[in-house]
Amino acid sequence: METLAPIKEISDLIKDNGGASFQFCYQCGICDVVCPWNRVRQFSMRKIVRQASFGLTEIEQDDIWRCTTCGTCPQRCPRGVNQIDLGVSLRRIATEYGVFPDSVTPIVTVSDSLRAEGNPFDMKREKRADWAEGLPVKTFTEGMEILYFPGCYLSYDPRLKKVAAATARILDKAGVTFGILGSKENCCGESIRKTGNEQLFKHLAKENIKTFIDHGVKKILVSSPHCYHTFKNEYPEFNVHFEIIHISEFLRELIAAGRLAPTRRYEKKITYHDPCYLGRHNGIFDAPRDVLKQMTSAEPTEMQDSRTNSLCCGGGGGRIWMDTPKNERFSGLRLQQALDIGADVLVTACPYCLTNFTDSSLGLEDGRAIEIKDITEIVQEVI
Amino acid sequence: MPVERSASSGPNNDNVGDVLVVGGGISGIQAALDLGEAGFRVYLVDKSPAIGGKMSQLDKTFPTNDCSMCIESPKFIECSRHPNVDILTNTEVVRVEGKAGEFRVSLNKKPRYVLEDRCTGCTTCFEYCPVQVPDPYNENLSLSKAVHIHFSQAVPLITYIDPETCLYLQDEKCNICVGVCKTNAIDLHQKPEKLEIEVGAVVLSPGYETFDPAVRGDYGYGKMKNVVTSLEFERILSATGPYAGEIRRPSDGRHPERIAWIQCVGSRQVIPGGNTYCSSVCCAYTQKQVILTKDHYAQMRATVFHNDIRAFGKDFERYYQRAENLPGVRFIRSYVSIGRESPENKNVTIRYATDGAGVMEEEFDLVVLSVGLSPPKDAVDLAGKFGIELNSHGFCKTNPLNPIATSRPGIFVSGAFQGPLDIPESVVSASAADALCGQLLAYQRGKLGREREYPPERDVSNEEPKVGVFVCHCGANIGRVVNVPSVVEYASTLDNVVHAQESLFACSTDNARQIADTIRDKGLNRVVIAACTPRTHEPLFRDTVREGGINQYFFDLANIREHCSWVHSREKEAATAKAKDIVRMSVARTALLQPLQEIELPINKAVLIIGGGVAGMTSALNMAEQGFQVYLVEKDHDLGGMARRIHYTLEGVDVQAYLSDIIRKVYRHPSIHVATDAAIEEVSGYVGNFTTRVRAERRVKEIRHGAVIVATGAEEHKPAEYLYGEDDRVLTLLELEGQITKNDDVVMKAKTLVMIQCVGCRTAERNYCSRVCCSQAIKNALKLRQASPDVEIYIVFRDMRTYGFKEDYYREAASKGIRFIRYAPDDKPVVEVAEEGGRNLLRVTVTDPILGRKLALDTDLVALAAAVVPSATNHKVAKLFKVPLNPDGFFQEAHVKLRPVDFAAEGIFLCGTAHYPKHISETISQAYGAAARAINVLSKNSVTATGAICDVDENACIACGACISACAYDAIDFFDSARGKKAKVNPVLCKGDGLCNAKCPTGAIYLNHYTDEEIFRQIDAA
Repeated sequence: METLAPIKEISDLIKDNGGASFQFCYQCGICDVVCPWNRVRQFSMRKIVRQASFGLTEIEQDDIWRCTTCGTCPQRCPRGVNQIDLGVSLRRIATEYGVFPDSVTPIVTVSDSLRAEGNPFDMKREKRADWAEGLPVKTFTEGMEILYFPGCYLSYDPRLKKVAAATARILDKAGVTFGILGSKENCCGESIRKTGNEQLFKHLAKENIKTFIDHGVKKILVSSPHCYHTFKNEYPEFNVHFEIIHISEFLRELIAAGRLAPTRRYEKKITYHDPCYLGRHNGIFDAPRDVLKQMTSAEPTEMQDSRTNSLCCGGGGGRIWMDTPKNERFSGLRLQQALDIGADVLVTACPYCLTNFTDSSLGLEDGRAIEIKDITEIVQEVI
Repeated sequence: MPVERSASSGPNNDNVGDVLVVGGGISGIQAALDLGEAGFRVYLVDKSPAIGGKMSQLDKTFPTNDCSMCIESPKFIECSRHPNVDILTNTEVVRVEGKAGEFRVSLNKKPRYVLEDRCTGCTTCFEYCPVQVPDPYNENLSLSKAVHIHFSQAVPLITYIDPETCLYLQDEKCNICVGVCKTNAIDLHQKPEKLEIEVGAVVLSPGYETFDPAVRGDYGYGKMKNVVTSLEFERILSATGPYAGEIRRPSDGRHPERIAWIQCVGSRQVIPGGNTYCSSVCCAYTQKQVILTKDHYAQMRATVFHNDIRAFGKDFERYYQRAENLPGVRFIRSYVSIGRESPENKNVTIRYATDGAGVMEEEFDLVVLSVGLSPPKDAVDLAGKFGIELNSHGFCKTNPLNPIATSRPGIFVSGAFQGPLDIPESVVSASAADALCGQLLAYQRGKLGREREYPPERDVSNEEPKVGVFVCHCGANIGRVVNVPSVVEYASTLDNVVHAQESLFACSTDNARQIADTIRDKGLNRVVIAACTPRTHEPLFRDTVREGGINQYFFDLANIREHCSWVHSREKEAATAKAKDIVRMSVARTALLQPLQEIELPINKAVLIIGGGVAGMTSALNMAEQGFQVYLVEKDHDLGGMARRIHYTLEGVDVQAYLSDIIRKVYRHPSIHVATDAAIEEVSGYVGNFTTRVRAERRVKEIRHGAVIVATGAEEHKPAEYLYGEDDRVLTLLELEGQITKNDDVVMKAKTLVMIQCVGCRTAERNYCSRVCCSQAIKNALKLRQASPDVEIYIVFRDMRTYGFKEDYYREAASKGIRFIRYAPDDKPVVEVAEEGGRNLLRVTVTDPILGRKLALDTDLVALAAAVVPSATNHKVAKLFKVPLNPDGFFQEAHVKLRPVDFAAEGIFLCGTAHYPKHISETISQAYGAAARAINVLSKNSVTATGAICDVDENACIACGACISACAYDAIDFFDSARGKKAKVNPVLCKGDGLCNAKCPTGAIYLNHYTDEEIFRQIDAA
């Protein structure tokens, strides 16, 4: 067996990059037990924490990039270790040294694209508002009720553009005065920050903040829980405090205020999946359910692993940009859970979840099918 | 509407007492009994309908596996019969005013809706009540009725009606129970009563609550039927539980073959809703449940999921090994999550982590959550009423140098309200509370006390034997195996038997009273009770017989439980036949029994305390303050013992300041006579009348005293490994502490320190845990870290045993960058000298199980947690005082659970690390406890010796001396009679074991109550 000596400089470096909470660990193994990775292969967060405490992190290994930052292990950790902060700290170090394993190299292209065009798809910045053509969407001006911030996926991805469209139609129907900032928007930066590129995140955030301030933005409506998370919890690091609301919460408000009501009911059997960044990270479980209950004819059934136990789709932590072999995708397991309770439609409220579930639904065996829809698409069909 | 009443339930009519004990669990009961024995009047108050607390719900207790109710219920009856103790159940404290020495307390006696002086506990009302409710005693796993007795051995044995579920009390419908009660004891209009009492001191012993996993839905509890708490499982194990002792699982009643125990539920976590401390008892109680379950059901396979096994108490390590070595038992180090519940069979899967083999998922038939201990539900309320402070965990705030004192003078705390405690520690703290109350109220002792009055003893010498036989069911313990009615019928056919009956629980107050009544009514002069073991119940039944007005030695306890139903549980017919044989033999013997008298001897009111450390000095001061003469002998030149080498504690106590203060107090006290550089040469005598010869500074002194407290302390093991003794840089923890205190350069300038735990113990040679070292290591690590913020510290351990509130310091140490590495006993760390970068340093190599690699830690210093070993003089002291040592060389107390400071030999007590390694706070608590027990002996006017002892027929004695050499208690001696030397038995020292009888060649020496004739008669009847 190989003998190693602890390396103080490395454990200090990890602490300096925000990972100090690894100190609390008492090796109980709960993080491994609850981690979704261990449903598809062997992965030990406990070992990563342990390596960090001795400065013996293997910076070139795949494992430090596996974490989707789903938030299950820090929630259960009895000692208060923040595994996400640790993971980000390790990735910061790897980013600084430019050490990326093969499955992670797409991140380089993504970073370049974010910096150049403000989106990860390497598509032109000017085309960011193209999705709104033909829809009742204006440019944001001061005094409007809300700024609608669709985010990169809803602005550029063909599937998700339909969600943006549905959202716009709902807002219009409800008489909400809203606008977008189109090409002036940058990616919110949440996911690239989780890949350790702190510099790029700060750049994107600062530009966004300047844009918001210049346009007199006060309240921001988001479709992506990732945008929600960073605007609400991380942008305040820059001493700004915008009011952030997620579409599921806003829908509930609109319905309660009588501004929106279904004219008929959605008949198909649905089940709702809690996105990690909406549910576990930000405590929003009831708003989407309250909305859906009022839209469907039958009350939606709950899958195994719901609410705080929700099974991650695999998209967070920058993994939406990384390669995951088909048999290692959590989204496949999640679809199986939806099928197990006899649902026809899997409804969610996050662009990453929607993308991953749609992808996995294409690979289902013969005879099995399930529709993947966003919450706004359900609402829009019945109002 | 509360009604003023002038009297409480006892014969006391003036509402003035000495001490109020709040909470009637085991520690409250022990405190009440100790105080009562010490001559103080006690009010024992409990908010539930019966005394007993959590211990009454346990099946067995660790580490002896004694039946919990068997060792607790005799104490219930002792309390109810004690003239100095008034029990007030269903009673709460409303208001407290005054100060130490003069408190005025308002109590509210909640209505039971049953008149206590009329109810006989016959349970007819229970049979007829139409309302079924979940039974709280069985943790809601079975049904009871709206009117019921809390449990069968309850004291008081009186029903109570639950106002929430009684149809009449809710809706004024139904009063069937009123009609069927033969004594008109039910009063559905009963009102609460207000009672005002005056006492001098208060002991708070409200106990604890178990952590409730339903609040957060931990581990599927509340949703999954086959996930139960440990207390629910305890009831399932019990013969009086929901399934009569069959282990069945809630969903389908099947016997579960694969059972998982999940440790630390609700404990050791910073997650909101949990507790950060360790609950101390769960590791041991889980091992108990594993052992007992295997007993019930040999095919059971147990898996215990944990993160450290805290087997830190006396005999715990062996108990752990006992559980672990059972076939089909695994201990897996991993916290877990629940996978899923199978919809078909309701089995539950558990996911756990392994070292290097990934996450496993396994299915279990039943999951037991080892829930932690939380503060009692009404802690905040009680604290408010009594004006005391709680600590940050919601338990009573105590002083580390006096864990019995609360923040308010005159109010003391005992039991688990101090913090998670097991039964022995609760009992110790109860006795300690007695000592402190005694110190406060010494001037009051005996003033309000009452003597027990027995009916006059009938002279039956001219009567024919008239035997009464009482056959007990012991719930299901005997009744399920032995056909009790047929034994009763058989007994009534035997010679001399004039009365035979059965009882459900002969030991319950009502039954016991009925036996006494029957003796009187039927003029019985011999009693045979066919039930359990004399070990636990002989004193109780002898007392009952005395209450019946005849000599207590006219009683025989025929054991048809341990000797019959428990060992022949699968052979009902044969067991019943054997039970009949046993009863017949017993009845035959009783015909020959003679009345015997107990002997009263005078008491010398001084105490000899051996050992002048923290323990000895604490006992000395407490007893001196209560007016007793104390002789304190110490073998060293200075007082202080091991504490002289301790400077600070985890809680930040300045030990040296405390020590100089207490030493000064001891020397100054006029009633304490100190001898240092002393050696004990000879001891003779017995309780109340010891004579000890002490040599000190070349003078010899004969001390006469009535009691002894052994407080000889312990020593530090000198390691013979890890380069200790070969390299100056390897120290023990105590040496390290000394160096840190002295600000030693080498230590303070060290860049790295590695601590190695479990050095010299938890080995085959010393198979116990030294208890204090995990905390000591963390204490010193934190201290060093404070002085040298950059020093790297590693602690290499096997299990981190920072139990109780010390767990917080473990987390604190981790937060400060102190690193912990676990090693396996078969892969110990290696310490060697190494050269690195021109420096000569030490290298510690240890395998880290998570990394799967060996780590080489280069260090300037190595500190070893050397074992705490028994004092070298223990053997000598043991021989001099004829007290036993346990297999590890520490002193052996009379009963691990319920007599933790007593020796089996009367008048001798034990405290401190002589008993077992412990922390200073625990030593102080135990020292107070020993002082209290010693005072219980010395405060009386005489000491009573049992009547079942040996005697010598001088005509037959040939003075061969065989009996003298056989006696382990030195109870026999020669004396010069008119006809030459004859053997003579000292009645106080004789324990009545009869060994001498076996040796005597002429049969001159005989054992009263077990004479040859009596034994032959018993054998002939077999």
